[in-house]
Amino acid sequence: MNDPRTPHREGPRRDDGIHTRPDKRTRLEDLAALVKDGDMIAVGGGLSSREPMAILRALLRRRIRGLRAVGSAHGIDIDLLCGGGAVSCSSESYVGFEQDFGIAPNYRRACESGEVKVDDSCCYTLVQQLRAAVLGLPFMPVRSVRGTSFPELHPEYKTITCPYTGQELLLVPALAPDVAILHAQYGDAQGNLRIEGPPVMDLLFAKASRSVIASVETIVSTERLIELGGITIPYFYVTALAELPLGAHPTACYPFYAYDRPHTALYYEAARGGPERFSADYLQPFVHGCPDHAAYLARIGEATRRRLASWSAGEAAWMSLYREEVTA
Amino acid sequence: MIHDCSLGEFMIAAIARTIEDGKLAFHGFGSPLVQLAMHVAKRTHAPNMVLIAGATYGVDPDPPFLAPTSNDWVMDRGASSSLDIEELFDLAAAGRMGRMFLSGLQIDKWGNCNVTRLGKSKLALKLPGGGGGCNLSCDVQHLTLWTTGHRSPPDSAGKRRFRLVEVCDFVTNLGHRTADGRDRRELGHRGQGPEWLVTDLGLFDFDPEGHARLQALYPDITVEEVRENTGFEVRTAGPVAVLPAPDRETVALIRRLDPLRVHEHEIRPDDRGRRFAVA
Repeated sequence: MNDPRTPHREGPRRDDGIHTRPDKRTRLEDLAALVKDGDMIAVGGGLSSREPMAILRALLRRRIRGLRAVGSAHGIDIDLLCGGGAVSCSSESYVGFEQDFGIAPNYRRACESGEVKVDDSCCYTLVQQLRAAVLGLPFMPVRSVRGTSFPELHPEYKTITCPYTGQELLLVPALAPDVAILHAQYGDAQGNLRIEGPPVMDLLFAKASRSVIASVETIVSTERLIELGGITIPYFYVTALAELPLGAHPTACYPFYAYDRPHTALYYEAARGGPERFSADYLQPFVHGCPDHAAYLARIGEATRRRLASWSAGEAAWMSLYREEVTA
Repeated sequence: MIHDCSLGEFMIAAIARTIEDGKLAFHGFGSPLVQLAMHVAKRTHAPNMVLIAGATYGVDPDPPFLAPTSNDWVMDRGASSSLDIEELFDLAAAGRMGRMFLSGLQIDKWGNCNVTRLGKSKLALKLPGGGGGCNLSCDVQHLTLWTTGHRSPPDSAGKRRFRLVEVCDFVTNLGHRTADGRDRRELGHRGQGPEWLVTDLGLFDFDPEGHARLQALYPDITVEEVRENTGFEVRTAGPVAVLPAPDRETVALIRRLDPLRVHEHEIRPDDRGRRFAVA
């Protein structure tokens, strides 16, 4: 936000921001080409669930640079982008592996070296900034944050005296990401998306961003989307989408598959070992060494896919996916 | 028959006791001790608490087991509905959220927490960040702070790196006073600030000045140990009590809810061997 390249934007879009092409299906590579160097991106999903990992891997293969990441609770997605040298600024509120693995190694290194400018934010501050963009307003007020250290990181925050109550409030400017990058369970050709389970910030990202690109586990008819329970994000927000089964791997995308904890452990060990080890043990085999998503799926293997789908067999099977010995 | 419990189980019971019935309570992610404390409270003394799960925003879920990540569908099983992220934070901003739980790699004498960065002028260690903790520390009516890292053994040079510090390098979550000593009441926030601090050594409340005050200890800890491991003046209000151990029903409940022992990730290896007789 301190970057003069990204002034505070009231309205969300370059054009009228309404995307009506009847068929928005495209190849992963063309989808990834819609993200430009220096874009402000909002990544959907959260922590270890429904993160658009296949698109992020495609961005790294394109050697994208200078992304500014904004969002709430993230893990391997932002850490991978940092490890691949794609991020220049982070306004995330959390990037980590919770109690499971702890601190995000690539993110931490990139922040500490200065490669990534750290403009940490907090969830409700972001919610209010995105809402301002959704509403076409220049700012939103919040009562909180005053008294913490966050205003030191964000000179763009202002305080005002409320004209009605005389209380001091904080104003936070509208935030319209260039691209929201989402992964949903289902979509149709027109770009309607159906998200199952917690949508986290996905809807808000879709509504506030200037464009939305999405991967889905499976593309179905509009009628089928309605049968499945209805559309979560209407097509006119969505710029383009691609069908990418296992597109969130190694994060979860229920009801298709659970979090791949052993793969995440492998990732974590590689990342913790430093940039060279990360490059050799992870980026090369799983990102740059896989020319497309089909190659990635072949790399992780059919047995992995079956294992991650086994959660639905019952509690014992589900729990066994998270046992420590699996990671050995 | 259950005869004893671990430090983690004891801490869960201590955190659960800070949760009142009939209020809306929310746990963030990455905090299995708190997740379990909320489920224990809901199933014992606080059946009418509204339990909102972190990450899934499910209302009153009944997970069959705790997963090592809080945004897993298993954590949302049995939820009667779910909130969206705006609704969750709006409830807090409107003063309707009764309790939230926060921690930090640094916690100062006023209950400020730092989950953002170590190093004042130069970034020395980037921490994961506080999620919504900054906003919620201002908005939520009452806060329970917790840490499993109070004990700060001296390093090879004899220097201790305190978790409970005089001053935080960065204030992620607001306590009772700002870094320059202003009383939070001057800021007009909805929330009243930290009410309790549960650590691996004892339990603190906060005195009228907003300063942490030692109330009680685990049976195997002395006041002197707390002083050695604390980076600020350890205040007390009269005699320091011994924390009541959980009863065996509570311990059995915790073991049923967390068969993978996910919460032990939060407990330091040196503390995993501490055992206590159950009540």
